[in-house]
Amino acid sequence: MRSVSFVSSCLAALSSFAVAELNLSQPLLSRQVLSSSFRPPPVFKNAHLVRMTNLDKAYARETINVIIENIDNKPQTKYYLPFDASLISKVGGFEVKDKKAPEKGPFKVEIVEYDTESSTEFYLIHLPTPLAARGQQTLSITYSILSSLSPVPASIGQTDKQYVQYTFSAYTPSAYETEKQKTKIKFPNSDVPDYTTLPADLNAENKADPQKQGSTFTYGPYHNIPAGAQQSVSVRYEFTKPLTHASLLERDIEVSHWGGNLASEERYWLVNKGASLKNHFSRVEWQKSSYMSPPTSALKILNLPLHPGALNPYFTDDIGNVSTSRFRPGKKEALLELRPRYPIFGGWKYSFRVGWDADLSSYLRKLKGDSYVLKVPFLEGPRIGEGLEYARVNLRVILPEGAANVKYSTTVPIIASTTTLHKTFLDTVGRTSLSLSAINVVDDLRDRELIVTYDYPWTAGLRKPIVITLGVFSLFAVVFVIGTLDTSIGKKKTA
Amino acid sequence: MSSPLLDVWEAASASPYTPAVGKGVQFTLGFVLLFTSLVLATIFGLNRSFVNLSVLGVPASLAFGFGAVYMICAVGVYV
Repeated sequence: MRSVSFVSSCLAALSSFAVAELNLSQPLLSRQVLSSSFRPPPVFKNAHLVRMTNLDKAYARETINVIIENIDNKPQTKYYLPFDASLISKVGGFEVKDKKAPEKGPFKVEIVEYDTESSTEFYLIHLPTPLAARGQQTLSITYSILSSLSPVPASIGQTDKQYVQYTFSAYTPSAYETEKQKTKIKFPNSDVPDYTTLPADLNAENKADPQKQGSTFTYGPYHNIPAGAQQSVSVRYEFTKPLTHASLLERDIEVSHWGGNLASEERYWLVNKGASLKNHFSRVEWQKSSYMSPPTSALKILNLPLHPGALNPYFTDDIGNVSTSRFRPGKKEALLELRPRYPIFGGWKYSFRVGWDADLSSYLRKLKGDSYVLKVPFLEGPRIGEGLEYARVNLRVILPEGAANVKYSTTVPIIASTTTLHKTFLDTVGRTSLSLSAINVVDDLRDRELIVTYDYPWTAGLRKPIVITLGVFSLFAVVFVIGTLDTSIGKKKTA
Repeated sequence: MSSPLLDVWEAASASPYTPAVGKGVQFTLGFVLLFTSLVLATIFGLNRSFVNLSVLGVPASLAFGFGAVYMICAVGVYV
């Protein structure tokens, strides 16, 4: 039984590859995604669903606004959203809010997997208040899909336009029957040379999909789509911008009570996932075109808007200091303009580190007793129009030596957190360091905060000077003792 | 949208952390303390007695301990 289900899921996966290709002449077939063992109980119905796919940035951003209805006769709290196993590992920034009361904050969500052989996994959304029988609620589900755009053609000339392909399902994947739905796709421009057309009989209004309106395409409306149905479509559009992907970002925030300073350091491992160069890189051609600054698939500049009051920035890579940077301190923000040593074309990599200082008083507040509260941005990083995605972010908050009882809170989904000791200059036992890891983070989360509270008794603060004091005093004592030793040869003089 | 720790942060808005010694005077203070330590150590070196060990050695050690911490902060290694 298990092997039959395995074979059927393999076949389903293979058929998705076949359908996903841009094959405009062949009719497309609907596909039912069936988990081998688990199916969410059919207690909900999607009364109306509108999905917006925004392709402005180097990753796809999805917003699903859906009116859900409880069709069971008991109140329900668990709503499932299915994803293909290969896709769920790329989903980041998944958030669900009540569309009518967004101020109440995001709902609790978790990833559930019922069978390792199943090709479908689920996001389980916990509704904060049970939805009564026949009751309706409007959910606003947002998420980003990282590494979802692939350049077609895969290699281009240095000054050519870049085209990328995005494959998705025209039917929004759902674990429940959907009465009415449509999908809108927003492109960065109206240059969309290839897209999958769907026959008019699928559409509820008997129109051939997609319907075009400037740079927005609409697939649908579709009526009464069963649970798990998919209709794979692809679009290919112009995107002559870098597909900047950070495979790793390590970010350190170091708190110094003695110095009244907050030191930040970020280490990036970047790669441009855009189309690779067809020929060799031509410096002459690059230099000629750089005065015109035409759109390019290469990453030329990274602007880091730092908080006002940032000081002493540095920008180094494996070779050493990179002198092609500018720092513009200002009242609203301190802009750090970084130019890598070379333009980063498709498939090229660049790793570097950047750091700066700031006054601690705007980030740290004192609570009653010996407790402190620290509020820092979870993510700073470059602000670029086409966006930047981070496969993994490792954030480390290094607190003073002797800090204890560390608690934190952030709205960024965290996958791991540990508190360890970090040893560096003038340390005896090591500084308390809080390490947090997040995966699939996008630059939309730039303004998210991290709040940390900790206890730091004033006696712990005196550890550093006291240790040095004792060391120096022991030196004096040793000098005194050695000075009293009589090392002369011969008999001692008697008075 | 609020979380308990965010409320803690907001409640403490009246008490931002201020270090005992600001960034501007770290170098001066560190230098004065280290120099004092050097002077005291020199005097101790000229007359090494048990009394001087406590009269000069203790203040010299304290001056060096605090002076070193402020000096390392002043040169950019914030400990």
